Amino acid sequence: MVKWQKQLRSWVGRYFDLPSDVMLDLPRITTIGSIHAYIENHTGLLHFSDQEVRLKYRDGHISIKGKELRIKMMLKEELLLEGTLDSVEFFTDQKEGGK
Amino acid sequence: MARHQLDYFYGLVTVHVKGTLIEAFLQACTREGTYITNVKHISPNEIEMTIRLKDWTIYRKLRKKYHCKIKIVNRKGIPFLYHRMITKKAVLAAFICGIFALLLLANTLWSVQIKGLPPELEATVESQLEEYGVNEGKLTIGMKDPNEVQRLLLEDVPDLLWIGVKKKGTSYQLYGVMKTRQDPDETTRPADLVASKKGMITKMFITKGRPLVSVNEVVEKGTKLATGELKEDSDEYVEAEGEVIAETWYKAEVKVPSTKQLQLTDGEKSSSYALIVGSLRIPLWGWWNDDTKGMRMEEDEKQWEVFGWELPFKLQVKSMYSENSNINELTSEQSIKQGTLTAKRTLRQQLSEEAEIIEEKVLHQSEENGKVKLILLFKVHENIAVTKYITQGD
Repeated sequence: MVKWQKQLRSWVGRYFDLPSDVMLDLPRITTIGSIHAYIENHTGLLHFSDQEVRLKYRDGHISIKGKELRIKMMLKEELLLEGTLDSVEFFTDQKEGGK
Repeated sequence: MARHQLDYFYGLVTVHVKGTLIEAFLQACTREGTYITNVKHISPNEIEMTIRLKDWTIYRKLRKKYHCKIKIVNRKGIPFLYHRMITKKAVLAAFICGIFALLLLANTLWSVQIKGLPPELEATVESQLEEYGVNEGKLTIGMKDPNEVQRLLLEDVPDLLWIGVKKKGTSYQLYGVMKTRQDPDETTRPADLVASKKGMITKMFITKGRPLVSVNEVVEKGTKLATGELKEDSDEYVEAEGEVIAETWYKAEVKVPSTKQLQLTDGEKSSSYALIVGSLRIPLWGWWNDDTKGMRMEEDEKQWEVFGWELPFKLQVKSMYSENSNINELTSEQSIKQGTLTAKRTLRQQLSEEAEIIEEKVLHQSEENGKVKLILLFKVHENIAVTKYITQGD
């Protein structure tokens, strides 16, 4: 995405006090302790195993690690994870360091 | 999670998915709008998940594109239950029979209650209802509407002033009010009151007409007690009405045997039971008591009914009472008492209900051939007035 567009979006979001996930098209991850994770606004499932779940979003991807992971529910842009969560990591595509 | 409960109605399928592009497959499916739950990881290329039955076509369409193999593990929900029911004919038949029986029982009239009417009228109403097909054990389907039953009853039973017909579940409740009939012919016919028998007047109350006699007067049979002619020689007549109570006398002759035979049971009873089918009698219990020597036997048959049909068998109960007979010699006092009682009872049957026996007297007593002969006199207070219509000349 063009840089000035991104900056405008973030400015509008701040100015009107809008939730940044809506404005910036970013995923919202809600966790309940370490047993549930609710991810909204992702753009695709990349990988799923009982150890790791990787999800795509606009700028890169998210990796959620844990044990005995299960997808309780899955819709187009929503995902409810269950299990024992260890970590949530973000990898941005611009930085080629991530996976 | 209301969504989950609804899913049960639409049917849920647990499937086993095998393939290398599982994640992409899932993503593609959700993009089409499917709803996936309970995704379990089994091995790197295998998962198990629950999907909705109505999304099934989407999975089938996409599985080839992503080279996935889908195997159904488990089916849940109403559509599958329904399907399974259809395949099991006996269960289905039983289910339908059950529902049918339930409907049948719920649509059967179980009781008809009639309130507020005297027994005779109640019986008339009941028989009328039966004519309309409204009685116990009948189906309410096709039965006449309560409003129509009400209308018909009012039409067909003239003694009913009003009747309320209400259907409450499986019972009919009727509440009726009887017409209190006024005498239809108020037009009076000229009539006198005359004495029906000889007697001495003790009390009189003439409600209509002019009294011709007074209290303590002795009247013969046929004497005019009151006349319907209000004024003498006026030709203006009414129907005389009233009550004239007079003392009348009755003479009775009674013969009382001086001995009396009494049959006494000591209350001890033995019973025998038998089942009667047609003309066949099958002893059930106590047949060893059937010896009836010196016993009084009472027989009782019980008939069973089911929905108004008589069952073809009856229960017969025989009760045997042991009996002692003894002969009592009566004293003259006892036989007088006995004779008076008998005579009084016979007299009572001849008299009208309001009549009162005031006094009884033994006029004569003699004994012959082991019998006591009594001549008794009774004093009775009764109404002697009877209506006698006057036939007018013209």
